[in-house]
Amino acid sequence: MKRREFIKTAGTAGLAAGTCPASLMSKSYVYLQPPNLSQVEASFYEKHPDREIKCLLCPRFCKLGDKERGYCGVRENRDGIYYTLVYGKACTVQIDPIEKKPFFHFLPGERTLSFATAGCNVNCKFCQNWEISQVRPEQIDHFDFPPEQVIYAAQKNRCPVIAYTYSEPMVFFEYMYDTSAKAHKNGIKNVVVTGGHVNPEPLIKLIEVVDGIKVDLKAFSQDFYTQYVRGELKPVLEAIKLIAQSDVWLEIVYLVIPSLNDQPDELRRLCDWLIEAAGPSVPIHFSRFHPMYLLKNLPPTPLSTLEKAWETARQAGLQFVYIGNVPGHQAENTYCPKCEQTLVKRNVYAITENRIKKGKCTNCGCPIPGVWS
Amino acid sequence: MQGSSKVFIIKAQGVINSERNVSEDLVYTMMKLGLNVTAGDANISICDLLPNKPTGIKINTIGGLKLSTRPETAMALAKVLTEECVKPNNIIIWDRTNRELKEAGFKLNNDRNQINIYGTDTSGVGYDRELTSHLNIGSLFSTIQSKQIFNSISLALLKDHGLAGITAGMKNYYGAVHNPNKYHDYNCDPFVAELFHTDHIKKKHTISILDCLEVQYHRGPSFHSAWLEKSESLIFGLDPVAVDQVGWQMIEKFREKKGLPSLKEETREPSYLKTAEKLGLGYNDPKKIEIIEKQI
Repeated sequence: MKRREFIKTAGTAGLAAGTCPASLMSKSYVYLQPPNLSQVEASFYEKHPDREIKCLLCPRFCKLGDKERGYCGVRENRDGIYYTLVYGKACTVQIDPIEKKPFFHFLPGERTLSFATAGCNVNCKFCQNWEISQVRPEQIDHFDFPPEQVIYAAQKNRCPVIAYTYSEPMVFFEYMYDTSAKAHKNGIKNVVVTGGHVNPEPLIKLIEVVDGIKVDLKAFSQDFYTQYVRGELKPVLEAIKLIAQSDVWLEIVYLVIPSLNDQPDELRRLCDWLIEAAGPSVPIHFSRFHPMYLLKNLPPTPLSTLEKAWETARQAGLQFVYIGNVPGHQAENTYCPKCEQTLVKRNVYAITENRIKKGKCTNCGCPIPGVWS
Repeated sequence: MQGSSKVFIIKAQGVINSERNVSEDLVYTMMKLGLNVTAGDANISICDLLPNKPTGIKINTIGGLKLSTRPETAMALAKVLTEECVKPNNIIIWDRTNRELKEAGFKLNNDRNQINIYGTDTSGVGYDRELTSHLNIGSLFSTIQSKQIFNSISLALLKDHGLAGITAGMKNYYGAVHNPNKYHDYNCDPFVAELFHTDHIKKKHTISILDCLEVQYHRGPSFHSAWLEKSESLIFGLDPVAVDQVGWQMIEKFREKKGLPSLKEETREPSYLKTAEKLGLGYNDPKKIEIIEKQI
């Protein structure tokens, strides 16, 4: 079953649409057993008096009384102890090319064992995976997939990379961390696809065990984050800086939404900031928006808008600028920043040509930043 | 909206004893009187207000046995309804999950001849497949609220809430959607009001009843016995905003009596009530609310 099909059939089995029944009891219901959630103590929280806790994982700093659950929907205070409910409880798993994440400078063409649990610590109105990110774990089918099994599945399916993706991996931090640490011991790399809405302490800990992080930067204005993301921009920028200063490979994705975050001056400020924070060689992907979830009243991003964004970034000095969600566009390819030779030719998620050898351009020898082996 | 709203407070001394046990007889009498005076004031009978159609009694059970809508209160309401017009099999007492219902002391029941008690997570129930998108709301509704019932009663436990200020009849409907955790920013405002303003709730909501036999006036919504006080009352009203406003003032009175700062001073006054009034859901202005107290 494909992930989409899986998601759509999971957890939302309701009555057929229609008007009110004449009588409620035209059928009998079967009571479900309590949901199979994990009860593993969470990291990053403070215990407060009267069984209250404060979550320190993300910039929300949720303060929760007994039986309350955080904004993410997957971490719960039970009698003064904070638990993750999704440790080892994957709701979707799939083998994807790494280009789908997208990572373009990280083992091109390799397969990733990609998985997620339910939950997210923001609520983007344009979320592509809201059926899993914006639900509670008990509202969706999930299955036991402990770290050891993740690694076994990666090995069995010849995936040299495990990707923590689809929803927001930071909310299943403990599960991701333990899996990553064990994967490393087995020679498997780890990449994370995140909105970057996380506090420095957990991020620093995560950086110890992962190899690549792709940050979805949703906009370069707090207003947008307030209105369309329900989160804070500043911590995301701090996270990007932190990753850039580490040995972990960083790529940025920016979903360009018509009229909301596509203004040239905003994009120019973003690019200038990014060069200062992470250097000119950090890859940035400008992706095409498609209407979905709670933002269905806007059209898909015009190609001309994406190309303008591409030009703005190149003019600002960013060396590796890509256009995403536009199959066949030449800005899907990687070009040498020195001799402009086509280095990696892509068609959707397939690599049709790769002229990077030992991390260098085969034409001029220019080093190309990334993880190539 | 009319020019003003009436809210009825029904009190009965001894309805709850020092062991926190509830007198089923007294709470039934309170419920019957409350429904009668509320309907009577609108020149209708209880049957006119709540005819024999699928009727949901949305309760709040997140607080476990110690701080949830009481089974005695919910069953008293169901009993009054069945004595009037509504057949038992047309009544659902419900909340999010069967686990929470059981932990709050409810006995699950889906016998076709009796009052139904079950959660949205019951097999064959679940949430809508299609999102309801309205103002700042984007949620999947429990099919109990969206498809199974015709009339909806909010039977909430009144208590202090660390973010919303209070949790009462309107916020009780957070339990009708799949993602209430997404609606706690900005003191839950405008989310409480806008959720109520969706057709699934606004068009079905019939009456708000607040269980105030005991009121936790501080450090909610989790249970803290130190801030629990007997009120021995139930609050009734057809105006959901006015009922919550009266509930708020009840909490403020307890806070003042105990020397606690007001919710406004703690920057968590229930601002959703103003938003609700602006949306035309009812009156928040105390001058437009007539409170009628009756003692049993």
